[in-house]
Amino acid sequence: MSRKRYSKEKKHRSGEIPTGSFSDIAFLLIIYFLVATTLVKVKTIAADLPSGEKSSQTQSDKTPIVNLRGSEIFFNDKKVSVDLLNERLAELNLGEKIPSKRVIMLESTKGTPYENYFQVLAGISANQGVVAIVEDDK
Amino acid sequence: MKKRLQSKKRRPVPVPIASMGDIAFLLIIFFMVCSEASKDKEMDVVLPISEYVKKIELTVVARVAVDKNGDIYFDGVNVDSAKDVEWGIRALLTETISDDQRHVQFKCDSALPKETFEPVIKAIAAGGGIIEAVGEIQ
Repeated sequence: MSRKRYSKEKKHRSGEIPTGSFSDIAFLLIIYFLVATTLVKVKTIAADLPSGEKSSQTQSDKTPIVNLRGSEIFFNDKKVSVDLLNERLAELNLGEKIPSKRVIMLESTKGTPYENYFQVLAGISANQGVVAIVEDDK
Repeated sequence: MKKRLQSKKRRPVPVPIASMGDIAFLLIIFFMVCSEASKDKEMDVVLPISEYVKKIELTVVARVAVDKNGDIYFDGVNVDSAKDVEWGIRALLTETISDDQRHVQFKCDSALPKETFEPVIKAIAAGGGIIEAVGEIQ
């Protein structure tokens, strides 16, 4: 008898899924994503270094060369500051030249910090130059 | 008269909330599709400063970083040498057509000496990447 009653009661149960709190859950998820996300847009300088064959000699005697000796900067063997180097590079009007004439050679001694290297790269790239790294003789 | 005023009492306006859950979940999907997870781990890097850095507007194909200790990271994974970076970039750039798909983000500590960072720069160039060197504005 009791079994019958039980089975009848079971049949009447409705199988609805409670969806009332779905929107709350979803909005909480959105808030979580918004709080946890960090929108970062890094600031960069673009430097295109041609990856050609190694050359045993320089392109020509007139190719400008920047030397980094520790914290000192030399442009065509004359000591310059970062601002002066940028002025010299601007005077070359590299943007108006063909890509093969835009080459600026970059030589650095051991121990040159990245800070200096970066500033020179930034100056060359801002003046539309193409950087050619000079390798040490071994 | 009084009775009429009473009948004018505001009726509760039902706000349609049935679709709120759908809207919220659509927003979540939108955020998840549009967001890009950062592959850079929190690294101990002091960025160099320059007046020429600009906010990057394009998508980079890979992220290379050199931290304070000289450890090299390729897309957030620590690699043994610069050669691994070159191979990684070569592999990523095998099917690239335009220059826009060749940009590689390069992050390096400003105090690191040339011997540490230059092989990585050369490796990026040798792999065919255009270097997007990360810095801070002056």
